[in-house]
Amino acid sequence: MVIVGGGVAGGMVARQLSAAGIEVVVLENGGDHRQSAAARLPSQRDELRWSTHMGLMQDSATETYTWRHNRTDLARPLRRLAVFLPGSGVGGAGNHWGGQAFRWEEYDTELRTRLESRYGAAAIPADMPIRDWGVSYRELEPYYDLFERLYGVAGQAGNLRGKIQPGGNPFEAPRQHAYPQPPGEETELGRLFRDAAGNRFGYKAYPSPSALSPAAYTNPDGMKLGACQYCGHCDRFICEAEAKASPEVLLYPWLEKQPKFELRRFCHVLKVEHDPGAGQVRGVEYLDLLTGEVCRQPADVVVLAAFTLSNTKLLLTGGIGRPYDPGAQTGVVGRNFCYQTNAAISVFLPDRWINPFLASGCSVHLIEEFNDDNFDHTGLGFLGGGIIASGSGSGRPIAARTLPPGTPRWGTAWKQANADGYAHAGAVGFQGSSYPQRENFLDLDPDYRDAFGQPLLRITFDHRDNELRMAEYGAARMVEIARAMGATRLGPLEPPARPFDTRGYQSTHITGGTSMGRDPATSVLSPRLQHWDAENLFVVGASAFAHNSGHNPTELVGALALRLGDDLVGYVRRPGRLG
Amino acid sequence: MEPSDPAKFDRRKFLQRTLVAAGSAVALAPRLIGADANDSSAPAAVPIPVPATPAEAETSSVYQTFSPDEAAFVEAMVNLMCPADALTPNGVDCGLALFIDRQLAGGFGKGERLYRRGPWRHGPAEFGYQLPLSPEDFFKNGLAAADAASRRLHGRNFADLDPATGDRFLQAVAEGQVSDERLPLAEWFNELVYPLFNQACFADPLYGGNKDKVFWKMIGYPGLPAVNGLNMAKYRGKPFPGAAAPKSIEDFS
Repeated sequence: MVIVGGGVAGGMVARQLSAAGIEVVVLENGGDHRQSAAARLPSQRDELRWSTHMGLMQDSATETYTWRHNRTDLARPLRRLAVFLPGSGVGGAGNHWGGQAFRWEEYDTELRTRLESRYGAAAIPADMPIRDWGVSYRELEPYYDLFERLYGVAGQAGNLRGKIQPGGNPFEAPRQHAYPQPPGEETELGRLFRDAAGNRFGYKAYPSPSALSPAAYTNPDGMKLGACQYCGHCDRFICEAEAKASPEVLLYPWLEKQPKFELRRFCHVLKVEHDPGAGQVRGVEYLDLLTGEVCRQPADVVVLAAFTLSNTKLLLTGGIGRPYDPGAQTGVVGRNFCYQTNAAISVFLPDRWINPFLASGCSVHLIEEFNDDNFDHTGLGFLGGGIIASGSGSGRPIAARTLPPGTPRWGTAWKQANADGYAHAGAVGFQGSSYPQRENFLDLDPDYRDAFGQPLLRITFDHRDNELRMAEYGAARMVEIARAMGATRLGPLEPPARPFDTRGYQSTHITGGTSMGRDPATSVLSPRLQHWDAENLFVVGASAFAHNSGHNPTELVGALALRLGDDLVGYVRRPGRLG
Repeated sequence: MEPSDPAKFDRRKFLQRTLVAAGSAVALAPRLIGADANDSSAPAAVPIPVPATPAEAETSSVYQTFSPDEAAFVEAMVNLMCPADALTPNGVDCGLALFIDRQLAGGFGKGERLYRRGPWRHGPAEFGYQLPLSPEDFFKNGLAAADAASRRLHGRNFADLDPATGDRFLQAVAEGQVSDERLPLAEWFNELVYPLFNQACFADPLYGGNKDKVFWKMIGYPGLPAVNGLNMAKYRGKPFPGAAAPKSIEDFS
C-alpha cells in the first residue's frame, strides 16, 4: 500500500491501516519541521520569515500554478504563491493551518437532494453541477467523532443526539458525543460580536471549534498536545508548544512506531503507473531528492493524499480518467473546482482595548444563521451562504494592522493612525460557500512547467454571479452586526473581487478536481473514494469534495480519510469494487 | 528633508565623502603597491572620514547592494515616508533603508521562491508580478526610472527634492500618474517598494529595520514571548502592560 503525501489525509488513512497491521509506505516530498527553527523559540515568532516570506510553504520556484479567469484567456503563472498556501514537508498544510475544525452541515454531502426538495429542481441553474456526494452525514459521524478525539478538538456542542445545547451552534448536525475539550479563551472582540449578534439580532454566536488545545491533552493513541499560549502565531506557523493538533505531532510519530509503517521523506512522486486495460494502477514513479534518482515503487494499492491540487495533477499526468472539457461537457478530471467566497470589514472601537495580539488562530466567535442552506433562499436569487465571524486571530504587526479609511499611506499622520488604532480595532469576516460552476475547472497548462519538467496545473476560475450575489447578501448581514458592535467607524467593505485577484491571501480552502459522486459520467471517484477507472487507486482530500461550503475543510478531510482507511482494511482482505 | 535641514545636509555630505574616499582608495591602492610595495604607510594616508554619529556608521556605510546614488534615493524616501517626529526618529535612523538594502541583497531580492520561467506575459494586475527581473533588479530599475521622472518633472533627483515636492511626487507615482516609457512605475512602488517599507517598520528588528523596536513601541505590540495563556482573561478589554516594553527575537537569543 503506497500513500502519496504525508499530510493530514495520508496520516489518517495510514493510522487505520497500521492499526490493522497492514504494510504502508508514505511518500512525502519534504522533511520534518519538529526540531527546526520554525518550531522553536524565539525563531518561531518571526512574522517576516514564516508569514511574509512564507518559509513553510511550497516553493513557487519549484512548483506553482497558472490562473486565468475564463477559458478564452491566456493564463499567467502565480510567480509567488500568495492567494492560497500549500505546505511543504511532513504534515503539509496541516502544520500551518489555523486550527478551526468544523463538521459540515448534515445536508452538505446531499446538497442537490436538499436544494431540490426545498426549492424544486428548477432552482439549481443548469451551469451549476451541484450534486450529492454519495455519502451521508450519518455514515461520516463516527469518523468526525474519531477525528475530534484524535485532534483533541475544543468546542461547545450545539446538537447532542438531536438536543440543541445552549451556547453551541444551533444548526449543528446531531453529534453522538460532546467535543473532547471545552472551548478556549474568549477575546474582547469576539465577545462584542457575540453580544451584538445576540442582543440586537437574536443570532446564536458560538466559539469556533478549535484544534488548538486549551490544555494538555492525551489522545486515544497516547499522543500528547501541549496547552495553547495564545501567541497569535498559528496560521502560517508551526506551534512550538505543540498545542496545535497536526500530523507531525499526533500522527507520524505514532505511525513510525508501527512495525509495518514507513515514512519515506524527500520523495517527489512524478507519476502513477496506470494499466488501463486491467483497470488497475501498478505503482508510482518518484524522484528521490536525496539521490537524484528516479525510482519505481510497485504497489497493490495507491492512495493519493497529496495537496488538493496535486491529486488532480497526478491523475492528469498519469492519464487516469478523462480530463474535463467544459465546452463539450465531457470528462471528469478537473471539474467541480471550487474556492471560497469571502468578504470582510474593519471595525474601529477607540474606547475598547481589543489587544489583537492576545489571540489564537481559533479565538473567534461566529454565527451560522446565513451559512450554506441554513436559511430560506426563496426569492433571493442565489444559493449558498457563509459564516460570519469576529475575534482576534493574530495581531501580527506587519500584516494585521487595521487603519481607518482615509488614512494616508505614510508620514506622521500614518504613524499616528497606527499608534492610535492598533490596540482598538479589528475586523468582522464572512467566509462563504463556492458552488461548482461549469466554467471553473482545472487542467494541465500547455506552456509552463515545474522544476521537475512536468506541466503546471492550470486553474480556470472566477467568482460567478451566484457567488457574488450570495456574498453581497452575506456581507450586508455582516455589516449590520459590525455596526451594532459599537464601532465608531467602519472600514470600507472588502467584497470578493471579480476579476478574481490572486495577489493577496484569500483562503487555502480550495476544493474539487477529483470529486466524488454516484455517476462515473460526472465524478472521478465513487462514494468510497475509489477511482472509477482504476479499482486499486483511491484519492482523498478536499479534491474529492463536489462543492465547497462556508466551513473550513480540514475536519471533513480527516473524516473522509479515516473512513477510507477502514474501507481499505476491508479492500486489502477482499479486493474489488467497494459497494 | 528640506535643504535647510542640517541633518540632511550632513548625511548627504557624509555620503559623498565616503564615496570619494572609497573611490580614491581603490584607485590608489594598485599604483601605490606597484610603486613601492613596502610602503605600508601609503593606504593609511587616505583620509577616512569619521562618522558624525554612530547611527550613520551603522547605516550608510554597510549597504550591501545600494550604490551611493541608490542609497541617497532610498534614504530620502524613507525619511520622507517616516519623518522624525514625536513618534519615531527618521526612517534612516529607524533602520528602514538598511532593511530594504538587506532584503534586496538577500534571497528575496535575488528571486528566491519566485517562479522565473517563461513565457513572460506581463498582464492584468490581478496576476501579480510577471516580469523576468529579480526583485533586486526591478527595484533598482524602478528607482532609476523614478529618478529620471523626478528630473523631468522637477529638474532634480528625487533625493534633492524638498519634502513637500517629494511627497507629491511619491503620491503621483503610487497613483499611476508618473509614467516611464518601459517600466511600470505604479506597480513598482505599490507592489515592491511599499511592502518593503511596511515590513521595514514592523518586522522583528533582527532584519535591520524597526530599530530599537520603535514601531512596536509606537503601536503597543508586545512582541515576544507572547505566552498569553493567563493574559487572555487577565487583560481582556484592558491595557496590556507588556505593550510599553516590547521584546524581540534578539532579546531571547
